[in-house]
Amino acid sequence: MQPAIETHDLVKQYPAVRAVDAVSLRVEPGEIYAFLGLNGAGKTTTIRMLLGMIRMTSGKVRVLGQAVPGAEESLWASVGYMVETPQAYPELTVRENLEILRRLRPGLAAREVDHSIERLGLHAYADRRTGTLSLGNAQRLGLAKALMHAPKLLILDEPANGLDPAGIVEVRELLRSLAREHGVTIFMSSHILGEVSLLADRIGIIHEGRLIEEFDVDDLEKNRIRSLHIQARDMAGATARLTDAGYQPRPDGEGELILTDTSALERPEDITELLVHAGVKPYRVQLEQENLERYFLRLVGADNGEEA
Amino acid sequence: MNNLAKACGVELLKARRSRVPLFTALGFSLAPIAGGFFMVVLKDPEAARNMGLISTKAQILGGSADWPAYFGMLAQAVAVGGMVLFSFVVSWVFGREFSDRTVKDLLALPTPRRSIVVAKFIVVTLWAALLTVLVTVMGLGVGALVGLPPASSEIFFGGVQRIIACACLTLMSVTPVAFFAGVGRGYLAPMGISILFLVLAQLVGATGWGEFFPWSIAALYSGAAGAGFANLTWMSMLIVGLTGCAGFFGTILWWERADQNR
Repeated sequence: MQPAIETHDLVKQYPAVRAVDAVSLRVEPGEIYAFLGLNGAGKTTTIRMLLGMIRMTSGKVRVLGQAVPGAEESLWASVGYMVETPQAYPELTVRENLEILRRLRPGLAAREVDHSIERLGLHAYADRRTGTLSLGNAQRLGLAKALMHAPKLLILDEPANGLDPAGIVEVRELLRSLAREHGVTIFMSSHILGEVSLLADRIGIIHEGRLIEEFDVDDLEKNRIRSLHIQARDMAGATARLTDAGYQPRPDGEGELILTDTSALERPEDITELLVHAGVKPYRVQLEQENLERYFLRLVGADNGEEA
Repeated sequence: MNNLAKACGVELLKARRSRVPLFTALGFSLAPIAGGFFMVVLKDPEAARNMGLISTKAQILGGSADWPAYFGMLAQAVAVGGMVLFSFVVSWVFGREFSDRTVKDLLALPTPRRSIVVAKFIVVTLWAALLTVLVTVMGLGVGALVGLPPASSEIFFGGVQRIIACACLTLMSVTPVAFFAGVGRGYLAPMGISILFLVLAQLVGATGWGEFFPWSIAALYSGAAGAGFANLTWMSMLIVGLTGCAGFFGTILWWERADQNR
């Protein structure tokens, strides 16, 4: 089966900066692929190249089997998108803004406008001018525009941006249902790993224009650093005993000892027993896993060396 | 064709819901009213002398209070005022997509970008046509109201024809403004460019080369520089036509091929 999105050595070079540098990725049909990166990492530039909005310096892009740029216009009937902060014609209402997009997507029934309004919970704002919408509702309108024509492929730039916690959950459920029940492929960018890990099947991390890591979300657990955190009244004694036993404890600078030895991580109860028998009773032994934020920052080299 | 018709409908909806058509209509309405005022002044030389500068200005522009002079004033208003107002319309229709950052929603659709650009030009043309009709109809009404002496049908047809021709020449000469709306990504740059065109038109017109400068030609044809300059050669028409084509196709090419970062 041909991939929904495929890029090969995609490069975008501006005079002063290489915004995207040899990015090769593949998104399978029905997959939810999260494209993760810090601000300015190259996410939006990549998305704009996927949509034919900006021209690549070199490389190849195929979307739903068609080369971009050069694809037939009919390709875009199967693609819904939202790039950066959604914008709308401020003097027009929510309904009229959707009507404009409906007319520019020939063959779309008039009822799809109302359907989109209902689906994104915009019925209370349907006849309100979009210039008065909150950021969250503007985001909902952007999503309504992207989803109105039931696309096979959704390309969404930070879809949860501006939504309140309830809205984030609502949109997450909506996107999950589109992918799982309707086979829609979703390519979404974000800079929050915790957010996308709840939804994505696969995650690609882009940093300074380069795709530095790609993994299944199921691998997220095993990729994250685990460590055993120990606190005792006699930290010097605990350090000495653990070192004598062949472990490599190191202080974290905040009154804790950290162990990352595999045997300690697999059997933390042995550490407790060792310290108790040595007379340096620990009052805290806790196995901790690097949080998603820290893991992401470590991957992109922006973690400042802090522990999980 | 279906795509183009729908894109035209979309552009008409945007124009209809904005206040810009009203402002442009108000702006253009001043031309027949001001012309009518000058005609009233010219009709009464005693009152004109008492009015000082205004009366002198009226003599320069109109000369006499009759329909040919009045039509000449309206043609000049369409040529020179149209340069500003048509540019404003083009700047708004094209530039607002960049200023409001709505252009990104128009770039990856089953409706081709060129259809959207052509639809915008069609709406601008319709808009300019309505403004021209407004000036002409209001002009006829104001002319009758101030009691201009009766004239032959040839004078009326000739006068209206000249106003329409000036509107067409002006409209064609402002298509490059649409291109600059894209390049400048907003409506400030194209407005600046249109003012530059206007200033250059004055300068080039003063040097005597106006008939070869696309943004001077409509004003010359209107008789703004005197009746002696109003009979333009085919070369002048060709220059305006080429300018119109350059603006039209340049804008399409820019929308289709330039990097769209907004």
